[in-house]
Amino acid sequence: MQNKGFLRLKEILAMTLILVGIKLSDSTPALMAQKAQNGFWLIPLLSFICILPSFLIMLYLLKKYQDKNIVELLESLTGKWIGKCVGILLFIFAFLTLTLDSRNYIEQIKLLYFPESPTDLIYFVFIAVVFIGAKKGIEVIGFTSWITLFTIKAAFVLVLILIYGDIVVQRIFPIFGASLPVVLSEGVKKAGIFAELFFLLIAYQSAKRTSMFRKGILLASIIVLLEITIFYFVYASVFDYNSIKKIQFPFHDITQYINLGNFLTNIETIFMIFWLFAAFIKFIIFIYITTWIFGEIFAIRNFEPLLLPFSFLVIIIGLSPFNSVINELVFRETLLTIMSPFFIIFPFVLWIIAWGKGDLKQ
Amino acid sequence: MVRSFKQSKKSQTPSKHKKISTSLQDNIQESKQLFSYGVNKDFAMRTIQIHFNKKDACLFYYSSIVNGPMINLHVIKPLLERSGESVNNVVSIENIEEVDNFEKIIQNINSGKIILLIDGDDTAYAMDVADFAHRNISITENENTIKGPQEAFTESLNSNISLIRKQLHNNHLINEGVQTGERSKNEVNLVYIKDLVNEDILENVRSRLEQIATDNVRNIEILEQYIEERPYSLIPTVLYTEKPDKASSYLEDGFIILLMDSSSACLIVPVTFWSFFHSPEDRYLRFFYGNFTRAIRLFCFYLTLLISASYVAISNFHSEMIPPDLLLAITASRERVPFPLIVEVLIMEIAFELIREAGLRIPNPLGPTIGIVGALILGQAAVQANIISPIIVIVAALSGLSSFALADININFTVRLMRFIFILAAGAFGMLALTGAFLLFFMYAASIKSFGIPFFSPMSPHFLSSEDTVFRKPIKKEIFRPNYLHPKDVQKKSK
Repeated sequence: MQNKGFLRLKEILAMTLILVGIKLSDSTPALMAQKAQNGFWLIPLLSFICILPSFLIMLYLLKKYQDKNIVELLESLTGKWIGKCVGILLFIFAFLTLTLDSRNYIEQIKLLYFPESPTDLIYFVFIAVVFIGAKKGIEVIGFTSWITLFTIKAAFVLVLILIYGDIVVQRIFPIFGASLPVVLSEGVKKAGIFAELFFLLIAYQSAKRTSMFRKGILLASIIVLLEITIFYFVYASVFDYNSIKKIQFPFHDITQYINLGNFLTNIETIFMIFWLFAAFIKFIIFIYITTWIFGEIFAIRNFEPLLLPFSFLVIIIGLSPFNSVINELVFRETLLTIMSPFFIIFPFVLWIIAWGKGDLKQ
Repeated sequence: MVRSFKQSKKSQTPSKHKKISTSLQDNIQESKQLFSYGVNKDFAMRTIQIHFNKKDACLFYYSSIVNGPMINLHVIKPLLERSGESVNNVVSIENIEEVDNFEKIIQNINSGKIILLIDGDDTAYAMDVADFAHRNISITENENTIKGPQEAFTESLNSNISLIRKQLHNNHLINEGVQTGERSKNEVNLVYIKDLVNEDILENVRSRLEQIATDNVRNIEILEQYIEERPYSLIPTVLYTEKPDKASSYLEDGFIILLMDSSSACLIVPVTFWSFFHSPEDRYLRFFYGNFTRAIRLFCFYLTLLISASYVAISNFHSEMIPPDLLLAITASRERVPFPLIVEVLIMEIAFELIREAGLRIPNPLGPTIGIVGALILGQAAVQANIISPIIVIVAALSGLSSFALADININFTVRLMRFIFILAAGAFGMLALTGAFLLFFMYAASIKSFGIPFFSPMSPHFLSSEDTVFRKPIKKEIFRPNYLHPKDVQKKSK
């Protein structure tokens, strides 16, 4: 592992922002709008409220058990074997999220910009870049995230500014979409969209001081929540409830919709560049932390050579869903619904174990 | 074969380490043999009788690298005429060193000193009368500035040090010599400010210099390739400059300068990306003017690296992005061109590189010809012959012209080479591959370390510094030295 303690709050913040924040530009909004209709923009808010206590408990436990990352924490709390089993579950969640998400992104690239090219080839090119990038190690990923963060976010802000004129605020009414119970239950079910925050805890000791990591990831999760909510609100108020269900990639639809003056009317490629940067970095971080979790479980200190087989597996498994609709509406939805209760409840269980052991009093 | 090679090296050594004997005749014989007296035309020997102790003595030197009148006036004349007790009292040369073996004698004579051997004395006296031929200090030729000092380094160590000392009146400015090379002992001079420089980095540089095991390190340009970490990397890790003011501004921040007698430039270590991006003139210009220059340079960086590739990607894969009128114009101009777009771009880029390389090597009187031929044939005629479309000429000219804004020769090559990789990537998979290739290039650069310093510090990883990265602050607000060097004193200005 190439880590000499150069990472600080900034880099952790940037990595979290890119890893979780880019959710606003994939097909997650379409997934949520299926049931909640135009109340879907409240779902991230509710999900975050559901998952925040669990996340804080995890951070608290990690702070109490110093010098441990999430897998080591699991092992020391629940014993070696149960800890490893839970760790494997965590790994499977991370890996499946990675794979299904990557398929989702490949479909976006293919449908929107390279409709003629075969999915396999785009997948291969994309994952090849991700693999080589991830090989550079967590520090370089952190530096790159921070330096590119500004341009990526600037592009997103530009989208907001340009779409401002087309927002009809009244479209968000009725405020709870389908109905309040639906939005609430969807909010709990989709809490898994913030699962990446838990996966990132594997890098708990990568920062110069662990307090930097805690502050960085908390600050980032709040910014991310704001970002996602603002963008979902914009989608809801631009497209209204009928079309939002049918639009698979609202972000790209917006970029195709907007124009810069009368001369440059098709500027989606400009946003695509920054979006691609973010997507590449997201998967670089994701594949790195997934491999890291695997390495920790099986005590492989030098896990970076595993990136190659995992990249290959991502391509193979990612290609197996028949099409993007099945991938999105069946597999991804099921995965989110399974992950949500796990990440909401499990930290409490850990906390009770730690409390029962009497470790928290020290 | 190898054994005989080793033996021949061994058999040479004993005579080199031989001590000086008390017999003058023996010493003269030994020296004559060592320096091939008689065959070697510029090796001179002069015997005299010393006035103050009435003993025979002999002087050895290379007549081509010493100052003749100085020897006459300050060595021979006093020895022949003046009375006194010892050589030190009689000879009026600033620097006299006593040596006791022939290896030292060889070294001293090679570096332009005169050796005095006296009968009955087993020490020799080495006196510094060196006068290597070099050109005068001239103005910078490759790193031009409008505002700022115009002097450039020249091929003389003393003049170069003098140029640096002129700007830094500091008794902690150290000029330390390290010998490199086995057959030809050349001296590399490490210049640094003692109470600023980080000892670990200094030790790192010294050990790299000492590890060079080769017969001869002729000059700084060769040395650069001996001390760098990644010889196969496209990205340079040592900064090369011919400007003393640039060198001294780096010295002030705790960097280390390497100088040699035979080069009209210096090396600066360690470096970051910003060292290549900045030019001293950015700091001489006022705040807004300097930052405007930086903005232009950043834009040039983008243009030269990516404009051709972007053109290929957009017109091949994302043509919907181009406004209809422009798209029609491009299509119309390409109508009669037989090649695919990427081939056109490559032809023009290579042609530009050709003119550039040939223009550098062409003898001065022919200079203007190449310009006319290049512009006419490659620009106008190629377009008229439908080999390339006129837009490509604009694109290639833009990318070629912008590359001159990156004055540093190393980064210039990096960018020019990367350009071709990006064009190929863009031709293969449009913006997807281009973005991917650029991201990987960027990540590769971020992973580079020069003498342990990450390439994009102090931006990321963050360090305390004057925050002089893409843009700079007003000079009055620059309080800290770059802390990624861990200098002994990080504050350069009180708040």
